Amino acid sequence: MTWLYGWWIDLARALGLPEAYCYPFIARGIVAILILAPLLGALSHLVVARRLAFFSTTLGQAALTGLVIGVAIGQPLDATYTAILGFCLLIAVIMVFVRRHTTLPPDTVIGVFMAFTLGLGICLLVAATRRFNIHQIEAVMFGSVLTITDRDLILAIVLGLLVLAALVVTYNVLLADSLSPPIARARGAPTTLIDYGFVVIVTVAITVSLKIIGALLVEAMVVVPAAAARNLAHSARSYLGWSIVFATISGLAGLFISTSWRVPTGGAIVLSLSAVFFLSLPIGRLLRR
Amino acid sequence: MTASAAIELDHVTIRREGRVVVEDACLEINPATIHVVIGPNGAGKSTLLSAVLGQTAFAGTIELRFRGNGLVGYVPQSFVADRTLPVTIAEFLALARQKLPVCLGVRPAARARIAEILARVGLAGMEHRRLGELSGGELRRVLIGNAIEPAPELLLCDEPATGLDPDAIAELDRVLCGLRDDHGTTVLMVSHDRAQVRRIANRVTYLHVQIKDTGPPAKVLERAGAASLDEAMGL
Repeated sequence: MTWLYGWWIDLARALGLPEAYCYPFIARGIVAILILAPLLGALSHLVVARRLAFFSTTLGQAALTGLVIGVAIGQPLDATYTAILGFCLLIAVIMVFVRRHTTLPPDTVIGVFMAFTLGLGICLLVAATRRFNIHQIEAVMFGSVLTITDRDLILAIVLGLLVLAALVVTYNVLLADSLSPPIARARGAPTTLIDYGFVVIVTVAITVSLKIIGALLVEAMVVVPAAAARNLAHSARSYLGWSIVFATISGLAGLFISTSWRVPTGGAIVLSLSAVFFLSLPIGRLLRR
Repeated sequence: MTASAAIELDHVTIRREGRVVVEDACLEINPATIHVVIGPNGAGKSTLLSAVLGQTAFAGTIELRFRGNGLVGYVPQSFVADRTLPVTIAEFLALARQKLPVCLGVRPAARARIAEILARVGLAGMEHRRLGELSGGELRRVLIGNAIEPAPELLLCDEPATGLDPDAIAELDRVLCGLRDDHGTTVLMVSHDRAQVRRIANRVTYLHVQIKDTGPPAKVLERAGAASLDEAMGL
């Protein structure tokens, strides 16, 4: 990964950025954001189209519970990916199953799971903090570039590429199913597989982003870029484009804010995203005139 | 029951939240015909169509016998999508007509087919309009266009004339008859438009939870009687 960091450090110096932005951990954070933010931005426009915003919040909370379970079963605090991914996938799949087999509105079902994961997470967290300091998991809760390792980045690149490939292959079917499941099904789309497959894609993307953005804030990255993009976009093409642009700009801005004012990266990214969203409201209104 | 039927329903019962919506329906729909299901509101017509499409659980057997391209077109009663979603007509129609993700652009080959579809449904030149900007009638024309190209072997239409002006209904009649006569498409349609049923239907089924009558349009409509006809048509 050295060449990647070297590339950023050379670029930062060429841009005349302060020396702080040439530190290896910042370089790692920048590279991570340049990989993950466009991916989450691209994913966000489908998450919003499929009305899964609330679902993503639940996954963030499930990630926290997964982390505590990982620690409880003896995984190192900085390498609990399998527990987080495993628990999030379990919750995601059960949530889709229950939603498909009940007449309750989807947001009600998701609300039940959100309460369950939060309750379980809090109970386990309190039990687990008897064994370690709660500040040790702050990075996963709120996100921090300081804790990103080369292994995290490689994982992000590999899983990011897999998620991207899955999105490219399934995009048209996913959008068709988001617009009208009966029409998609009549055309032979495997709507059940799509339902489960998409939540698996979202779960994987969220899990690899946890260290930077944080479990409690990651849902913002898969909702707000699309919400802001929707204010400006006229077509699916511009919707995707704006979502990626907003996610990337907010990710980088958040990292700079976090570095400059020493606040959690996740929080700073979410604040940047929020600023972009509120700016997009009047701009969108002007464009529609 | 005959093996020549395109669709065969054998003792189909559909329950929704404990209530029987369709009861013990037995029906054969011949290939290359327009078969219209009529009945009052709440009679189970749309539910029956949904079961044929495989989207509603049922007891009994529904058999679809494909002999051609096996394509199914569907024109829903309502489009459940979020109308504020920024998707253009061209992108919507391209979803089933190209492999390239539509967010990366609509390919020239798909663009040509889309222009042809829109011309057929009277929306020529409207490729770049957003779905959310369309009136109910325009959106219905887009849905009809999406369902009829390429010509499907089976076309399911749930009140396709709703929201269309008289010219568009006449064009819809021509399109449906053309599909049946030129491409051998079997059309199963729910309709409240009495005049349209008389004009284009080969057979009509009067459904009111149970199948009350099936036969040629004039006879079924006649047998239903003037008084119950309004009920049959949901008027």
